[in-house]
Amino acid sequence: MTNFLNLIQNEVIKIYRLKSTWAMYVILALIIIGVGLLAKTYGDFMTYEEDTWRETLETENAEYMKDTEEFPDMESFNSTFIEINNYYLEHDIMPESYGAWQFVMENEMLLSLVSLFTIIVAAGILANEFRWGTIKLLLIRPISRTKILISKYSAVLIFSFITFLFVLLFSWIIGGIFIGFDGMNPHIVLEKGDGVEYVPVIGEIITDYGFSLVNLLMMATFAFMISSIFRNSALAIGLAIFLMLAGNQIVFFFIERDWAKYILFANTNLSQYFNGNTPMMEGMTLGFSVTVLVVYYIIFAAITWIFFAKRDVAGH
Amino acid sequence: MTEIAMQLTNVRKRIGNKEIIKGLSFTINRGEVFGFIGPNGAGKTTTIRMMVGLMKLTEGDVHILGKSIKTEFKEAIREVGGIVENPELYPFLTGAQNLKQYARMIPGITQERIDETVKLVGLEKVMNEKVGRYSLGMRQRIGIAQALLHKPSVLILDEPTNGLDPAGIREIRQYIRKLATEHNVAVIISSHLLSEIELICDRIGIIKNGELVAIQAVKENTPAGEQQLLQVEMEATPLEKALEVVNRKTPAAQTNGKITFQTEKENIPLLISDLVKENILIYEVQVTKSTLEDKFFDLIGENIID
Ligand SMILES: Nc1ncnc2c1ncn2[C@@H]1O[C@H](COP(=O)(O)OP(=O)(O)O)[C@@H](O)[C@H]1O
Ligand SMILES: [Mg+2]
Repeated sequence: MTNFLNLIQNEVIKIYRLKSTWAMYVILALIIIGVGLLAKTYGDFMTYEEDTWRETLETENAEYMKDTEEFPDMESFNSTFIEINNYYLEHDIMPESYGAWQFVMENEMLLSLVSLFTIIVAAGILANEFRWGTIKLLLIRPISRTKILISKYSAVLIFSFITFLFVLLFSWIIGGIFIGFDGMNPHIVLEKGDGVEYVPVIGEIITDYGFSLVNLLMMATFAFMISSIFRNSALAIGLAIFLMLAGNQIVFFFIERDWAKYILFANTNLSQYFNGNTPMMEGMTLGFSVTVLVVYYIIFAAITWIFFAKRDVAGH
Repeated sequence: MTEIAMQLTNVRKRIGNKEIIKGLSFTINRGEVFGFIGPNGAGKTTTIRMMVGLMKLTEGDVHILGKSIKTEFKEAIREVGGIVENPELYPFLTGAQNLKQYARMIPGITQERIDETVKLVGLEKVMNEKVGRYSLGMRQRIGIAQALLHKPSVLILDEPTNGLDPAGIREIRQYIRKLATEHNVAVIISSHLLSEIELICDRIGIIKNGELVAIQAVKENTPAGEQQLLQVEMEATPLEKALEVVNRKTPAAQTNGKITFQTEKENIPLLISDLVKENILIYEVQVTKSTLEDKFFDLIGENIID
């Protein structure tokens, strides 16, 4: 067991000794700082005072209605805001000011960058050893290839997790510095599937980020598989990113077919079963999607293993 | 008593429908340096890849200290250290970090052991530099250090002299000899240049087109009567007289103003003293080619080995 932890340690060291890994964190940090600066400069966040927040909300509502009269296209947009404001008024809850946690919540799109970087690392962790020629020295140790493979996969997940935490934490700090810290457990009113609801921001962050992890995990595993088959990281990165971007289009292209629901990408978005959303296709349930995901995962893992553990490490 | 370190039994490799290795069988003893010689493309690297389990054997088996590489991989490979083809390490890690990687993969390798190995190959000064900046000679040496960390019984070096200058080659020869003699390690060293490694080998196996065409013992421990003949070239004046003196002991010829002949090693000083007694001036004595090399050329059937 210590042996296995040593292997994982080796792999994590190799990931973090590469300059390209550090470039990823620099990119993420710069983007978060940039978004924070934009929010600070251009966001006109309302602050609500204990004794005037009701009037502030009424004024806001009046402005939304005026806006709708001028631009009727904005109607549905504005009516949501009015609905949210009315919820606060009716339930007599003072809205909390915008701050670090809400900033984190709105940075959820950064997770597609975390996915991208995880794909790059997953695609490289096997293929690079072949490119560098170091695979030969790695495999002539008293360790089974299966163990080496699992240690590499674990290191990818560790990298992904660290990067994920980095985005969360760094967003929170930047949001706090630029906009303000908004307490330990802020709540806001959000539009949900049926009507508006009063929810904890941290809960929203966990579910939103959590749902996107499914796609991240599947694409990283896919990239890992391609790199095991072709021993080429560029191909693995290219294919995985293409599928990540085109996944939804692929599903919509075949949506009329009754086998479309078995496509991986029809099932990666588990939020379709929550918050009163309607599933993408008839006959799809949470259990169905989880089963499909598990089956894909096992297939990816099995192919990865067969190609890595069973094939010769021959010359070029 | 000789103890078998590695045994190949009818090792074959087919890739597609091409048979690359055609039934190799031989053994290597502990404390022995075994030269694995053959022209490029003969199948040396392929054989080595099978010895260390990187490639599967189509047929046959390899035993290391009696353990099969096919069925007891971990036990067998535990006793092996090696470099396959090129000394490729992680270029973005320092020498020390590279060795640490390999040390973590086998239990019981202490920092002292790492330091000891680094000292053996003489890399103490550059341990904190990135391997990407090492010269080829330094990379060969850290490759050897990596292979020795876990004190293997069998050391396999695939063309370790490739790209090295004569000084580097001499240095590698020195510690290979030391490992075999002092630490009882079986060393398998492949090369396409016989001259570069025959000096340190106890035995040489010659491979051509995937077949072992000869196994030959070298050096002093050759049984009497099978004494190895050396090819000697000598520059001396007067030439005619010198030729006559040499001819008393062994047939000599005259080429390009020099005398050439074949003789055993211990005859060379005797001949020189004879010549000196006859007042012949000797300007140069050179041992050019061993007869083993001639034999190698005969077996390979070509003069240009590359
Ligand atoms: N992966 C492979 N697929 C097909 N043929 C190969 C492969 N690897 C090596 N060979 C062939 O096997 C022969 C032996 O190669 P190799 O073992 O590298 O020779 P050496 O190391 O003696 O120069 C060569 O003819 C080479 O072309
Ligand atoms: Mg070779």
